[in-house]
Amino acid sequence: MSFREKSAWVSFACLLLFTLGVFHSQHVHTHDAQGNDLITPLHLALAIFVGFIVLQVVLHVIIAVQSPKDARTPKDERERFIELRAARIGFYAVVVGELIAMGAYHAHGRINTMMWSVLFAILVAWLIKLGSEIVFYRRG
Amino acid sequence: MSSLPIDNNIRRLRFEHGEMTQQGLAEQVGVTRQTINAIELGKYSPSLDVAFRIAAAFGVRLEDVFQHDGSAQDSRSSPR
Repeated sequence: MSFREKSAWVSFACLLLFTLGVFHSQHVHTHDAQGNDLITPLHLALAIFVGFIVLQVVLHVIIAVQSPKDARTPKDERERFIELRAARIGFYAVVVGELIAMGAYHAHGRINTMMWSVLFAILVAWLIKLGSEIVFYRRG
Repeated sequence: MSSLPIDNNIRRLRFEHGEMTQQGLAEQVGVTRQTINAIELGKYSPSLDVAFRIAAAFGVRLEDVFQHDGSAQDSRSSPR
């Protein structure tokens, strides 16, 4: 497996964890028995974001150490082509997601719902883009 | 099995050049080993630039490495 494919797997796994973490964090009890804030959902989401960045960096360093030559080599034309094809699929996903988010806003009229729908659409589109890259790398 | 209308002789040329490895050819051409493998298996059509560099790596002409298989063309790409 090439460094780029490993990198796509790592990014996909980290982003999936981040997505699950961010949306799960909104249901976590963040108050003590007296009702005081222990941590706000926003701070929890930010902590998850920092964790996501750190995990991405650490895992990329590990796979780069395993194949340093591969990691130093710039992307060639096939790898750039794969990235462009995957980005196109991700673009369609984000457009569909944003339209659904707008529909959700019209249906519920809550800006909070729309904000979370937009964030969800972006994260899912990014996952689809990375998933497409993995599929294209697997196909050869 | 090739899925593109372009055949190539890269495997044979590598054999004739002292069993040159895909990695060795990739380093000469400036692409990854996986890209050479995809080209060799007919899963990816290289750009003209890379095609010429592959031919140069073997010291042969472009048409000695790549041949267009006209019969594999589908109706959309056939000349009108």
